[in-house]
Amino acid sequence: MSHLYDALRAMRTTLVTAFRKPTTVEFPAVIRPRGERYRVSFALPDDEHGELACIGCIACERICPSQVIKMRSTGKIESPVTGKKRQYVDEFVLDLSACIGCELCIQVCNSDAIRMTREPEEPSYSREGLVLDLVRLRANARDKTLSWGRGTELLERQEPPKAEKGGGRGGRPAAGRPDDSNKEAPAKAAVAPPAPAPAAAPAAVAEVK
Amino acid sequence: MSVQTQSAIRAGVDPHLAPASVEADGDLMLLHFGPQHPSTHGVFRMDLLLDGELVIKATPYVGYLHRAVEKLCEKLTYVQQTPIVDKNDYVSPMTNEQALNMAFEKLLNIEVPRRARWMRTIFAELQRIASHLLWLGTFTLDLGGALGGGTTLFMHCFRERESILDLFEDVSGARFHYNTHTIGGNRHDIPAGWDAKVQRALATIESRLHEYEDLSLGNSIFVARTKGVGVLTGDLALELGITGPNLRASGIDHDLRRDAPYGAYDELTVRPCVASEGDCLARARVRMDEVRESIRLVRAGLDGLPEGPICGFKPIRQATQVKVTSGQVYVAIETPRGELGTFVVGGGDTPTSPHRIKLRSPSLHALSAIPYIVPGYTVSDAVAILGSLDPIMGEVDR
Amino acid sequence: MNALLHGAVYGAVIVTVLLTMVALAIWGERKLAGRMQSRLGPTLVGPVGLLQPIADVLKLLQKEDIVPLGADRWLFGAAPVLAVLFSLGAAAVVPFSPTSIAADLDVGVLYVLAIGGLTVIPTFVAGWASNNKFALLGGMRAIAQSVSYGVPLVLATMVPVILAGTMSVSGIVGWQAAHHWLVVWPFFLGLPAFFVFFLALLAESNRIPFDIPEAESELVAGVTTEYSGAKFTLFYLGEYLHTLVGSAVAAALFFGGWDGPFAPGLHWMVAKTLVLFVSVYWVRWSLLRFRSDQLMELCWKRLTPLGVGLLLAAAAWVELGPGGAR
Repeated sequence: MSHLYDALRAMRTTLVTAFRKPTTVEFPAVIRPRGERYRVSFALPDDEHGELACIGCIACERICPSQVIKMRSTGKIESPVTGKKRQYVDEFVLDLSACIGCELCIQVCNSDAIRMTREPEEPSYSREGLVLDLVRLRANARDKTLSWGRGTELLERQEPPKAEKGGGRGGRPAAGRPDDSNKEAPAKAAVAPPAPAPAAAPAAVAEVK
Repeated sequence: MSVQTQSAIRAGVDPHLAPASVEADGDLMLLHFGPQHPSTHGVFRMDLLLDGELVIKATPYVGYLHRAVEKLCEKLTYVQQTPIVDKNDYVSPMTNEQALNMAFEKLLNIEVPRRARWMRTIFAELQRIASHLLWLGTFTLDLGGALGGGTTLFMHCFRERESILDLFEDVSGARFHYNTHTIGGNRHDIPAGWDAKVQRALATIESRLHEYEDLSLGNSIFVARTKGVGVLTGDLALELGITGPNLRASGIDHDLRRDAPYGAYDELTVRPCVASEGDCLARARVRMDEVRESIRLVRAGLDGLPEGPICGFKPIRQATQVKVTSGQVYVAIETPRGELGTFVVGGGDTPTSPHRIKLRSPSLHALSAIPYIVPGYTVSDAVAILGSLDPIMGEVDR
Repeated sequence: MNALLHGAVYGAVIVTVLLTMVALAIWGERKLAGRMQSRLGPTLVGPVGLLQPIADVLKLLQKEDIVPLGADRWLFGAAPVLAVLFSLGAAAVVPFSPTSIAADLDVGVLYVLAIGGLTVIPTFVAGWASNNKFALLGGMRAIAQSVSYGVPLVLATMVPVILAGTMSVSGIVGWQAAHHWLVVWPFFLGLPAFFVFFLALLAESNRIPFDIPEAESELVAGVTTEYSGAKFTLFYLGEYLHTLVGSAVAAALFFGGWDGPFAPGLHWMVAKTLVLFVSVYWVRWSLLRFRSDQLMELCWKRLTPLGVGLLLAAAAWVELGPGGAR
């Protein structure tokens, strides 16, 4: 009998949910509202002078874990707009089909030259359709909405606290911040026993915050 | 199949023996619960030796999803690794990132600012809710069929999970693989108005939990399918290294958040949920209680979230900015599946990449219980047991 | 000769109507299931997705027809056809209106039970002929389940037979039209008997909570694992037909068939069948499935004694009580 009672209760729940408004968003007629920071494709916008912002510093190419960015920079050329010498890129290719969407390229760009977009690319029948070249990337900057993420802003917000503050809670030495030349830093990592006994497992994890 | 043969097979025979050696009786059927199956939670194979419907021996085979993540991590530099380990336990990426970055922070002796620690905790607890909701949906799918009551609950759980993924999208820009943790803290800060959205999402989830229980844990058919099925004793669990809800459901009160606190857990009190029967119903009950506990922890986290910087180390500007010449650390955190540990050996040929990263995945240990707890039950129960252990093959095989 | 022609014509009409109803039922079920799951169901094909079943059938028919190596080709091909035939066959004796019935057999109830019992054969044949362990397991479970649940099905069906005094389905409907629907009076016999019949119907048609033979999460697709293309379409169709015809039989035996408070006719029969059909799907989309042994326990320890009790009570009612209006 408990089966019957619970079955009826389950059926009552489905009856209640049957009359709720469905949560379906009928794509592609309706696009669900995407967040401000939603990131899905790429764009190379112009800077405030109207030229391509990318100075070809190859930081994004080097940071990409999947190595999807390939570019060729020119040397320093005099800019036709501002008259100052700056570098440009001849060729910039981003293979979107291999991109894992990690945003590291946006993170390292000091010139805010590469941005992600909030609208995806059109699906394509061939791999070449998902390879974004310079023309498509500049077109994306015009046609698609850019995502919030910007290299300079991310880098600024992630700046660590000043050394004299000594970190959050008391008791930690103020000189705990390693600097760039980490190869001189002594091996300060704690060595934990590799196979903690099951009953004593809590002791193995020390005070990492 | 004589009783003596049966018990000889079940008790004490090495599960790694080839099935052929048990064929002597000849009337056992070998069923490959193959890598292609709607309910194996990813690509996983279980060889079942059946006597009719009764499972005499179960042998798990893993490795179908091996993607050489640890090898890849040896080639990438320290700052490039977070997006890669995102994809291990692909159902709760926040905890993967947290585990890895905590290990690097310990290796480099970096202190993480308080705001970042609290943010990481809030994200981890929200991820726990999302992961357990997904687990509940897939578990009832296993029990109730893809064309039936299981699907109804599955759809509902995913709808609530979507609200949590929307919250993560507001913070990091990605719904699923965020890359929002970094060495020293977080990369994205919480936008304005996020608190209110979180409270709304939590209120909706809390109000619908009783609906889920009507369709699952409170349902006598569910109880009949899971009560007394797949009993995992506390001793066996400890011996196999099983952690997380599977361990707590077997009566052992061990939770890394309380016993070895990290993040903000030293300031937030975590009340681990424990059950004592060790069957599938106990595991389900523990996970549902954990959802409620996590809702409470997220609210407490939001209340106490301090202001301040979100990263304690220099931000990522180049791939080679972190160099480590020597040292090894092991850091473990409590993910929705149990203890996820990261063992990092620094140094080696290239100081910019780790020499070796070893990830201790809780799901692998959970799956190692299969040869012990599946025999003696039927095929339907084997599916229920596998579902209740909550394995994610991405982290089992890495 | 007249009866043969009559049967052929009405049979063709009923089969056509049933197949159309199945198409509508596929659409209806998907919409209903969608709404219960907070989603919309089919919307793109045709207005409100009404042409979705046609799209489904066309898609299934153009798929490659794979016969596994080592499968018994004749049995493999015969099983889906038999499944549809047996499901349709039971509709021959159901009166859809006071005048339309394909074959007015005196032993209509016996015929329905017999044909209904035969539907386990294509299921098992599919399981055996597929040369696949999952299908075999599904087939074995199907036999156990169908044979077991045949007992409460027969016992529950005997209650209307005893109360109405005839084995002809149209006779039972006529008796209900003259007296009361059996679920109305005597409700203490009619309602429990209907309840047992409903559960046995769910089990015979392999519907959740009794769908162990085709339990997707355990047995991939159960007996239909190796089927693709046209043969799978026939199985799919056969499932819906079995449920639909079973609902029609239940409507005729317990709810008075074409009878209604006003204007009795085909529309009442259709309405009752659809209500029962929707209930079957409502149950399906709300509940989880039983394990084989729990299923068997429910049948033998609960439904069968209840059925025997109802049978005896109905007999007592007719012989000793006021129900003896013969």
